[in-house]
Amino acid sequence: MAEKHPPLPRLMIVSSGKEHLSHSSLAMKQALIIARSEQPVIFQLREKSLTASDMFQLGHSIATLFKDGKSILIINERFDIALAAGAGGVHLPESSCPADVIRKSARGLLAGQSAHSEAACLETASARLDYLLFGPVFHTPSKTPFGPPQGLERLRDICSKLRIPVFAVGGITPEKVPACIENGAYGIAALAPFLDTVSLPETIKHYHSFMSS
Amino acid sequence: MTLSRRLLCVITDEISDPVALARMALEGGAGMIQLRRKTASGRDLYEWAVRIQELCQQQHALFIINDRVDIAMVMHADGVHLGQQDLPVSAARTLLGPDTLIGVSVSTPEEAVRAAENGADYIGVGHIFPTFSKHKPSKPLGTTAIRTIGNASGLPVIAIGGIGLDNAGEVIRSGATGIAVISAVSGCDDPASATRELLNRIRQ
Repeated sequence: MAEKHPPLPRLMIVSSGKEHLSHSSLAMKQALIIARSEQPVIFQLREKSLTASDMFQLGHSIATLFKDGKSILIINERFDIALAAGAGGVHLPESSCPADVIRKSARGLLAGQSAHSEAACLETASARLDYLLFGPVFHTPSKTPFGPPQGLERLRDICSKLRIPVFAVGGITPEKVPACIENGAYGIAALAPFLDTVSLPETIKHYHSFMSS
Repeated sequence: MTLSRRLLCVITDEISDPVALARMALEGGAGMIQLRRKTASGRDLYEWAVRIQELCQQQHALFIINDRVDIAMVMHADGVHLGQQDLPVSAARTLLGPDTLIGVSVSTPEEAVRAAENGADYIGVGHIFPTFSKHKPSKPLGTTAIRTIGNASGLPVIAIGGIGLDNAGEVIRSGATGIAVISAVSGCDDPASATRELLNRIRQ
């Protein structure tokens, strides 16, 4: 990890993926609350239906909000957009350009990757990434395309084999956070629990309260 | 970087094997290959790019990538081609440095001037004729736009859209530095000879 980054937050909020549909700009509302939150958050902007131009604009606005704060903006897949927008990092899907290749070009950025199998996890581990996102640990409708739940035992097994922080993802309610941490996860990532911006400040606090070990 | 006159750029389509298509286009003498596949994963794009870049280097042809500045950066590709919905030209220039070719799709003199101001090396002007390769709600620009838009920006023009054997010569005579084609090569049974014949037309 590059020196200039603050400590890696243990909670990752993934954006809705619906920015192209909503005129209410949910990601910006989430970002405003995250920027004001006392607890640090990694906000992953994952909006595959937005054009690169729109991603750049949105990313730049959010990066400006996060400047000097403890939270970090991470752009899904496109490290060029992350660099141009002033984001803190890039999150690579499993089907991205190889991580070790990106690691060489994405200078100064945090870089992590999703992995949905042990083989993918071990491949990622050799690429000198900053973190890994592993799941789905529990059942969740949004992660159905990534196969059946992996369960806590698989999580523990993966965490014991890797020396980088692992974020558990997939159906993780606040109450399930301690089990993930006990099994070796550094933190957790989720999307659905953070969609309601009215309760978002409380939801962030609630998750963090289960994180402290 | 400057573009050679009478350049033929072959753009990969959405269905063909991009590596096989590039190999045949290069065999036919294409001076530039643009890897463009909007629906592909980053991993597929990278793997195709590695192989197409090698083929281009063997043939001393330029290798450029559509939209994905990230892939162009990791590949040290010769250039990128950006649409109006892609990363802003100025941002791409900052990331890629002065030596990487940046082309920008434009359809008005205003867009062309902005592209030039922001650091583009050439403009892709189109669509010149009716085309079915990309969904285009607007009317074709016609060949007069090549000079109007080119002169406004002072940048070399690669004309695109509906260009084939019957009109390629006219496009060059209208002031284009080069032409870019998708279906005129990818849609042919023999892409190598289609490329060769197009080159004959633009070199006459």
